[in-house]
Amino acid sequence: MKYMIMMFGGIGAATQSRPPEWIAGMHELLMNLDTELKESGECVASDALADPSQAKTVRFTDGAPVPTDGPFAEVKESLAGYWIVDVNEERALQIASQVVGYTEYPMEVRRIMDHSAQP
Amino acid sequence: MTGQYQIEDLLREFAPQVLAALVRRYGQFDACEDAVQEALLAATLQWPGEGIPERPRSWLLTVASRALVDAWRASSARRRRETVAALDPTDHALAADLAGVGRDDTLALLLLCCHPVLSPPSQLALTLRAVGGLTTAQIATAFLVPEATIAKRIVRAKQRIRDAGARFEWPAEPLRTERLGVVLHVLYLIFNEGYTTSSGPALQRADLIAEAIRLTRLLRRLLPDEAEVAGLLALMLLTDARRAARTDADGRIIPLADQQRDLWDTAAIAEGQAILTRTLGTGPVGPYQLQAAIAALHDEAPAAEATDWPQILALYDVLTTVAPGPVVTLSRAVALAHVHGPRAGLALLGTLDTDERMAHTHRLEAVRAHLLEQAGDTIAARDSFLLAAKMTASLPEQRYLELRAARLRHSVPPAGPAG
Repeated sequence: MKYMIMMFGGIGAATQSRPPEWIAGMHELLMNLDTELKESGECVASDALADPSQAKTVRFTDGAPVPTDGPFAEVKESLAGYWIVDVNEERALQIASQVVGYTEYPMEVRRIMDHSAQP
Repeated sequence: MTGQYQIEDLLREFAPQVLAALVRRYGQFDACEDAVQEALLAATLQWPGEGIPERPRSWLLTVASRALVDAWRASSARRRRETVAALDPTDHALAADLAGVGRDDTLALLLLCCHPVLSPPSQLALTLRAVGGLTTAQIATAFLVPEATIAKRIVRAKQRIRDAGARFEWPAEPLRTERLGVVLHVLYLIFNEGYTTSSGPALQRADLIAEAIRLTRLLRRLLPDEAEVAGLLALMLLTDARRAARTDADGRIIPLADQQRDLWDTAAIAEGQAILTRTLGTGPVGPYQLQAAIAALHDEAPAAEATDWPQILALYDVLTTVAPGPVVTLSRAVALAHVHGPRAGLALLGTLDTDERMAHTHRLEAVRAHLLEQAGDTIAARDSFLLAAKMTASLPEQRYLELRAARLRHSVPPAGPAG
């Protein structure tokens, strides 16, 4: 089973008031966890996304697709990064808990759809 | 048994020679390049167990020729009659071609891979495979993308070269200088690709640096009198010399001013300086020589405070006239701040605010943040660090900028600027 563990943009705002030692600790936690998941073979893919203020949205406007600056949705709801892990649900939740336990900021764990007819 | 590294070194050295011999004789860069890759793979599988053949280059040429025949057989029965006769693997003419592969063939090969019709990612991938002798898998690992992506990129790049009717030649002036400029830029990009990323699988990225330096050394052997080729090699050596001091154990970026200078590679610095000394004044001074001269001044300073900033500023002034651009202005602002104070640097940065080319990079804001911090304007500095952190697409940079902002908020005494 594959799960996507997602972190949202609001974490940036939530950590801005933290002291430098706390922020360094979070960076270390994320890097170590990423290394651990890759070395154990559980991680299928992982990436962090650039800030949503740098994004563009392509909208269908006056009969043609037109790119405009930014997603203007709430930043705190936009995806900031993810891990795709090939594990059972219990383990996926445990991985997310490790991060949330430190950051105190929510993460979402979603099952990825199977491509085969018989899961 | 033979060492894996020795085999790899041999293969990388011979790959462009064998390819050049095939292309010179049969044209069809596309098919020849595939055939050489097949021969390299065969060697990687067989040589470690069976030992390196007595004449490894001829071995590769023979296997590549066979692969070419097989490919042509499969694709066209009519063509087979013509090519099979021509492609007897023991063909003496072909062996003679191999012996005669010279300077111009390798250069022609580089020019094909760096053809202007190709996008930079395609130029990089094709150069590393056809001239560097790396496998698709190695290139994919280095660029952190799936192997299939690189494989498709290479197939498409070769199609474009064919469609453009590109010729296998070392052209006459003025085209030669223009095309050589593209080759130098591609080598510079390969180096930067390896140098600017310091987190994650750092060792694999270091391979890109080694490969860029190796290919630039090769180019310098072929064109010893081109001052900019020497300048680029010196720039790479003088910059890469600081690699060990550039990040900490956790992959965090350490700015130039804070680096532990005894970790710098003195042999690389000495070689870079020697190349630069021999080169400066022998030809027209170009941007690579100037950047190398600036890197040398940084490398020569025993401590950050001992840096000869007036001399660096003077070199940036020359660079501004030789190759003006927003990135040069940005670096010049840093030098200006060191010589005439942070406010002078900030004023120069202001001229970049309306520059479209700077709209999508965090660098302007990051430099501004450092200069504001030096000027004692901590609130504005913090806002600039946070804005820069939002703008960057580099994770280690983002972490570094977030930390700088957090330090200002928690009013730790300000540290020095990033060089």
